Amino acid sequence: MSEVKTLQNGSGLFGYKFLKYFEIAKVNYFNSSAYLVNLISRSAIVVIRIWIFTQLYKVSYSISGVSEIGGLTVAMVVWSLMMTQSFQTATRPQLSKLIDEEVKSGTLAYSVNRPYSYILFHFSGFIGRSIPNLFINLFIGSLAAIVLVGPIGFGWKALVFGAVLLLFGYILDFFVSLIIGLTAFWVEDTSAFTWIYSKGQLVFGGLILPIALFPDYLQKIAELLPFSQMYYGAARLIVHFDLSLFLQYFATQLIWILFFGVVAYYLFNKGIKHVSVNGG
Amino acid sequence: MSLSTVAKYISLTWEMTKSSILSAMEYRVSFLVQVFGMLVNDIALVAIWLIFFQKFPSINGWQFQDTAMLFALTTVNFAIVMIFARGAFEFSKTIARGELDYYLSFPKNVLWHASVSKTDISAIGDLLFGLIIFFFSGDISLEKIGLFAVIGVLTALIFLNFIIITQSITFYVGNFEEAAEQMFHALLGFTLYPQTAFYGALKIIMLTIIPAFFIATLPVQLIQKFNLEFFLILLGFWILTTIIATIIFRRGLRRYESGNLINVKM
Repeated sequence: MSEVKTLQNGSGLFGYKFLKYFEIAKVNYFNSSAYLVNLISRSAIVVIRIWIFTQLYKVSYSISGVSEIGGLTVAMVVWSLMMTQSFQTATRPQLSKLIDEEVKSGTLAYSVNRPYSYILFHFSGFIGRSIPNLFINLFIGSLAAIVLVGPIGFGWKALVFGAVLLLFGYILDFFVSLIIGLTAFWVEDTSAFTWIYSKGQLVFGGLILPIALFPDYLQKIAELLPFSQMYYGAARLIVHFDLSLFLQYFATQLIWILFFGVVAYYLFNKGIKHVSVNGG
Repeated sequence: MSLSTVAKYISLTWEMTKSSILSAMEYRVSFLVQVFGMLVNDIALVAIWLIFFQKFPSINGWQFQDTAMLFALTTVNFAIVMIFARGAFEFSKTIARGELDYYLSFPKNVLWHASVSKTDISAIGDLLFGLIIFFFSGDISLEKIGLFAVIGVLTALIFLNFIIITQSITFYVGNFEEAAEQMFHALLGFTLYPQTAFYGALKIIMLTIIPAFFIATLPVQLIQKFNLEFFLILLGFWILTTIIATIIFRRGLRRYESGNLINVKM
């Protein structure tokens, strides 16, 4: 009711307009945190994964006889992998699949007629869903990392700049997922695109192997690709802060967001022309 | 169960899978996209280990060739399960929704029928990938091909038992769908890494709750260097898991309550 009053008073129209997106995010937030058992089983997997990384990299570093590779120690590698995994898995269920289903089932036809922007509606849902998962993943992941490799120090600067990269990383992931989902307007089956996208993230997104550990020439390529700019950038900066690296990652991120944002907007407007509402 | 019954079930499994694949092939583009999409997906997984082994050439004697063989075996055993018995992967959902009724009315074994009722088309891509990488993974002899085939099928059966056990827990606790799926992903997760890196309590998990040791570690060793004793251990583990899976499913089925759903299967 309060939002209705604000509107009737004639003031805060701008605030009202954005309030609905906040409400969408809130609904998705509570929906996602309601299934505690699911969250716990997901967390157990996060712990096992970090445990695997710890043993793998401890063995790998000790065989190489070095304590630091590309500026990262074993503890930093494990923390950075914990973070990229936590950031990425928090976005489940996959947005591309949700959009794909809406396009195929035709529910999109109803959504586009409602008084909100379809793209902003999904963005709010995407962020709202991800937040509770993100905090639980990070909480469980950090506990596991502290037990397995011990704490690592990171200052407020690393956290603040890392958070900025993470937020923009989510925007970038959102646009690419949206594009994959929207291709359902033209192709029968989008699942292959989803697999390839997630494998792109796995190889170049620092989810198993941090890009700092790549051979030099490959590292340069990987850092220019969008996959590394989603979640690896934020994690890398948090474990080992470097202002020039932040500027480089942030600039790359913005260019990709602009590119994919334009493509998504174009595809959405083109696809929407395929929609015919038959009523009933 | 007599031998002729086993033969009948095998031939029925083949016929059911064949008809699933043929009906999926009616949608030609979708079929090809799924198969080749999965092939590209698997190639990306190998790519990451190519990069890894450039930095760390050997992990306790485990080299890139071992990872290649590991991927060959695990994609093939995964594919066998998903092509012939994808239904098992959905037991939890089927049980929770009371949709098992459909299979109860048939004269054939319920566990078998519900398992073979679905085929994962994209798994054909995994099978192709596994076979290709096997033939490129070093010196291939007739003996090795035979060994790979036998161990591929044996580990697929162990994999299937693991899926049946975890999915059937739903009979007893109600909602176990997501947990069962997470356990499945944990098992797959273990099969990605150099197997010689693990030790201590993590190794115990691999030997028990999430039996990656019997699906990945031991079978890869066997293919590379056959050892009768290890082979018998693998065979014994298959028999043990088959007994556990059958008991858990049968006992669970007695607790099953119909959803009173009327479904029309086309």
